[in-house]
Amino acid sequence: MVSSAKGTGHCDDGCLIAVGDPYREHVISTKVLQALAEMDDHNYYLTQRSARSDIRLKGKKFMNKITRLLALLAALMLIVAACGSGASDEDASDDGEAASPDVDGAEEAEEPAEETTTTQVKTGGDAESDTTLQIWTFGATGLEPLMDEWAAENGVSIEIKTSDFAAHHEGLLTALVASEVPDIAVIEVGFSSLFKTSPDQFIDLRDYGAGDLESNYVDWRWEHGVSSDGSVIGLPTDVGGLALAYRWDKFEAAGLPTDRDEVAGLWTSWEDFLDVGEKYVADTGEPFIDDIGVLYSTLGAQGGERYFGDDGSLIYDSSDKVKADFDLAAEAGVRGISANLAGFSGEWNAAMAEGGYAVQLAPSWMMGYIQSNAPDTSGLWDITTLPESGGNWGGSQLAIPAAAPNPELAYDLISTILSPENQLKVFIENGNFPSTVDSYSDDALLSFENPFFNDAPVGQIYADAVLNLDPVFEGVEERAIAEAFGNALDRVEVGELSPEEGFQAALDEIQLELDR
Amino acid sequence: MMSQHLTDSVGVVRANVEADVPPRTLKQRLRSLAPYAYISPFYIIFFIFGAFPILFTFWIALHDWNPLGEPEFTGTKNFVNLMTDPRFWNATKNTFSIWFISTIPQLLLALGLATLLNHQLLKLKTGFRMIVLSPQITSVLAVGIIFSQLFGRDFGLINTALVEPFGFERIDFQVGTLSSHIAVSTMVMWRWVGYNSLIYLAAMQAIPKSLYECAAIDGANKFRQLVHVTIPQLRSTIIFTVIVSTIGGMQIFAEPLVFSGIGGAQGGNKRQFQTLTMFLYEQGFERFKFGYASAIAWALFLMIVLFALLNYFVTQRISQDEN
Repeated sequence: MVSSAKGTGHCDDGCLIAVGDPYREHVISTKVLQALAEMDDHNYYLTQRSARSDIRLKGKKFMNKITRLLALLAALMLIVAACGSGASDEDASDDGEAASPDVDGAEEAEEPAEETTTTQVKTGGDAESDTTLQIWTFGATGLEPLMDEWAAENGVSIEIKTSDFAAHHEGLLTALVASEVPDIAVIEVGFSSLFKTSPDQFIDLRDYGAGDLESNYVDWRWEHGVSSDGSVIGLPTDVGGLALAYRWDKFEAAGLPTDRDEVAGLWTSWEDFLDVGEKYVADTGEPFIDDIGVLYSTLGAQGGERYFGDDGSLIYDSSDKVKADFDLAAEAGVRGISANLAGFSGEWNAAMAEGGYAVQLAPSWMMGYIQSNAPDTSGLWDITTLPESGGNWGGSQLAIPAAAPNPELAYDLISTILSPENQLKVFIENGNFPSTVDSYSDDALLSFENPFFNDAPVGQIYADAVLNLDPVFEGVEERAIAEAFGNALDRVEVGELSPEEGFQAALDEIQLELDR
Repeated sequence: MMSQHLTDSVGVVRANVEADVPPRTLKQRLRSLAPYAYISPFYIIFFIFGAFPILFTFWIALHDWNPLGEPEFTGTKNFVNLMTDPRFWNATKNTFSIWFISTIPQLLLALGLATLLNHQLLKLKTGFRMIVLSPQITSVLAVGIIFSQLFGRDFGLINTALVEPFGFERIDFQVGTLSSHIAVSTMVMWRWVGYNSLIYLAAMQAIPKSLYECAAIDGANKFRQLVHVTIPQLRSTIIFTVIVSTIGGMQIFAEPLVFSGIGGAQGGNKRQFQTLTMFLYEQGFERFKFGYASAIAWALFLMIVLFALLNYFVTQRISQDEN
């Protein structure tokens, strides 16, 4: 029977052709079954079926049990997974807070990839208090402990929301439009021009007596908070004075001097710096610096006109400085001294902790970043001066939105925690260099040596860097322009474009953005 | 003659009714409005969350608007700019490329997986079905973060386990156009294969067993049964999954954004994996050009409408064929 059924006796040649047409298929197969049943040996067919269904029945009971067990297991797994992920979320945000950089500039001016989704809310001060001050920050200003202290003294509770660098500023802008604002918001200098175009969105701090504080701060840092109509929208936090951190143990292994003055003597110009880097790479086979994007941002932060003239006009395409900075950074890429890491990415963090490169160009806030990101490298770093000159990269203002619920308290908080004494405290704890003039002659600052950086006299080094700098004006389109140059450098670094093509690609990209 | 008579009688009847019945009371009038009230929630909600945003977006698209300032009417400028913006066409190309790379293998895999799940000798059926669906309930951001690490250049598992052992150089997945599209597509695939498998599985279980028996009698092996019985029977289901993944694919956002990491919504240093929604986000919320972003949103809207129409005609054709 089996053999005859497998043959085409009943179906002739029509069956396979009919497949695909449900109705005809059904008719044909019913006919086939009928024919089979009518056959003499159809009993064989039926016994086979009943035997199979017996096994199936037993199997089914067994499977039901298994299914129930499995469902229970899955439910348990979900519960465990939920708990687990909750815990790891907390971990991630803790890291996020510790690792948040206080930067602007090229596209690397953001946080590690892992933290792109991190928004963390922390409460402090007097939890019983009816008044809660909302504070939005991107972290890394090192001001949080002072905020907590102030809140405890004044019997006010505070809620600090920490988001990513870009997300914080973008979210703040949307919040201003919707009038769903915090009491205090941090605005980094790269974004200050953008927010200063709308002074009516912020409280003029002169109404609360901020005018008297002006002389406390470095003049050009004060200007970052002054809008075109003269109103003061923010008080300055830190100054991102520029220096250079290096791994003295790696220098020693490469046969280079390790003493910070001798290291500074290795390079009087950036060309020398590249030469040393190239020799280091040739001798050790390891990268010298982390990223040419960070190098480019540092060069641009060394002062003078960059993308904007003094009057705010766009000069990015005609400025000799921009072209020279770009060419130098591109040359570093072509000569292969960089690890080609995207600054502030997860891989950059890992390489910093693992000793993946020897030199880190370091604005003062970078000290805090290194200490929290690479705690195992304590004592292996040292700090010296930059080739050619100091400069500024970063810094922020603390502003109070016009619709803030508690402006008086907010002003009391910001004017207290940004006092010279408190800024000095932040420097000692976190590395953010004060923007208060008197601090630069304060003995406590000048004599401060940081043990993490091999007891380097960081107070003196950064004070020199800040006192000798020529501040750079950062305009409204700052980020779009900086990101275009940063992207172009990345493409030069991987060998996709020549330096000339890269520069042109950046100009085209910026033109496209500004035209629309 | 006959029809004339009928009309007359109807007219007479109507006249009688109108004469006998007193004018409708307020209550009666309200009662006649009741059906409209019953169906109104849908229309109200649709207007607030559907129609109004679409129209308002169009209105914004006719302006230059930095959200902190006042909107400035510019007419069709944004649309003209958009049509000549290479970044827009690049994003469109990327969106379709990622959609294609993710959808085709995804549906094939789903079909294969569904066939295995549908196998009569498979034990723990429910367990397996739960397992294949689990990626669907995973947070898309978690997927993005984990896969970005897997595809990492220096420490990524894929390079360590699948590229290096075979003597190739480590691949920087983010830098290349095709490699980045593959990485993003993998995330989409991983998340959606299980979902599509279950849809196929459900459709497969509705196929009459007799067809397979007949095919078996004709000597068709499992593969031929799949090709000649299962797939033709699943035709409308396959069309459905293609449409759903097209609409999803047009709006792909979270996966490439997370993959981009610190690069934000630019999608790589030459926008090699910037999708349309990322371009929209970049212009709207990173560059604060609400007008231009709204124009992008409308272009995307029109594209999806186009696909919906295409879908409508294709399914129309199929149902006609089947009848």
